Amino acid sequence: MTCKEAVVEVVECARRRDNRADRGIHTEPGRDLRAHLAICGACSERWEAERQLTAHLGTIRQQTAALHLASPASRREALVRDFARMQPSLPGRPARMRYGGWALAAAAGLVFAIALGRQAGLSGRESAIRTGQAVRMEPAVLYESNSLSSDASALSSDDFVAIPYTPPLAPGEMVRIVRGDLYPEALAGMGVEIDLLAWSKAANVPVEMIVGEDGIPRAVRITESNSY
Amino acid sequence: MQVSDEELYRQMKNGNQDAFAALYERREPGLYRFALHMSGSPSIAEEVSHEVFVQLMGPAARFDETRGSLESFLYGIARNLVRGVRRQGPVAEPVDSAFEPDILGEIIGNETTAALHRALRELPDRYRDVIVLCDLEERSYEDVAKIIGRPVGTVRSRLHRARALLAAKLKRLTAPSEVFTA
Repeated sequence: MTCKEAVVEVVECARRRDNRADRGIHTEPGRDLRAHLAICGACSERWEAERQLTAHLGTIRQQTAALHLASPASRREALVRDFARMQPSLPGRPARMRYGGWALAAAAGLVFAIALGRQAGLSGRESAIRTGQAVRMEPAVLYESNSLSSDASALSSDDFVAIPYTPPLAPGEMVRIVRGDLYPEALAGMGVEIDLLAWSKAANVPVEMIVGEDGIPRAVRITESNSY
Repeated sequence: MQVSDEELYRQMKNGNQDAFAALYERREPGLYRFALHMSGSPSIAEEVSHEVFVQLMGPAARFDETRGSLESFLYGIARNLVRGVRRQGPVAEPVDSAFEPDILGEIIGNETTAALHRALRELPDRYRDVIVLCDLEERSYEDVAKIIGRPVGTVRSRLHRARALLAAKLKRLTAPSEVFTA
């Protein structure tokens, strides 16, 4: 047995000892490994180190096993409420509230898109917009809808695609339009409809992103070229 | 007989609120621990374990049963979220260390073990992933391969490398006491 083979066996054997300890089964090194450990100081030292490491990792696992056995009920209930809200035919919620919320969010999105388009046209590589002044995004609309998808829709326009699961912009928060390149797969992951096969031979896709003050992109669109 | 995760997911997709709640109760604690081991921050762990389910119920979640278990899928989302938080970087981490108690340090009574856990969090992502998933969450190589999207052989070799790094760290941690006792 070579040292390379022995080290592989040492690691696996040490891990098996830990995994089987609870069931009272102890896996000792095989005959070949034992013979190698008897003559090789380095591998013998590694065996001892692996055994100690396994013991410490086992301690961490056992001592943290009882952590957070259940999430706080309030969080769970809030999440389940959000889930219920996302269901289209949930009983007990007036339809006009749902459609009203969407209409308001769409209207806010339209105003936002127009404002962004004007600002982008006036600026060069990067522009800054104070949402509370230039865009007139109604925070009440976002909070009333109280769902991620409606926040996202407020940022959507014909060009920009809202990136799902990003936090909503605060009233008055500055946003920037940042140009850059993204992998096609990353864009697809953001929900942008993109022909991955067509883009597969291109290195990156030129994009513009609306980025909040926290540096998190909220919406993205593909641009014509990457000449910036 | 316990309903499988995948069955709960199917029911959830059909709008069954109870199925969603059951799935959350079953899987959220494990995801929390995973995110806690990965990040070392209870608040990040809480946010991540919550956000996993927000994503799961959203339209963008595309779980495909033929490609692996739902549990692996959820761990994959959690892993990506933790990595995203860590990439946002140095702004969040000092806040965590300054204002959050070292919950793991308090729980792990042995000083060397606690130091080893801190060393684990300093490992590069690719190594920390496999240690947490294979050795702390006790997931199989095959599961981990699906979660991180790499071949089984890569998981194995990364785990061996990660353990070598941690073993070296452990040796340094225990070295002073050895000097004293010698």
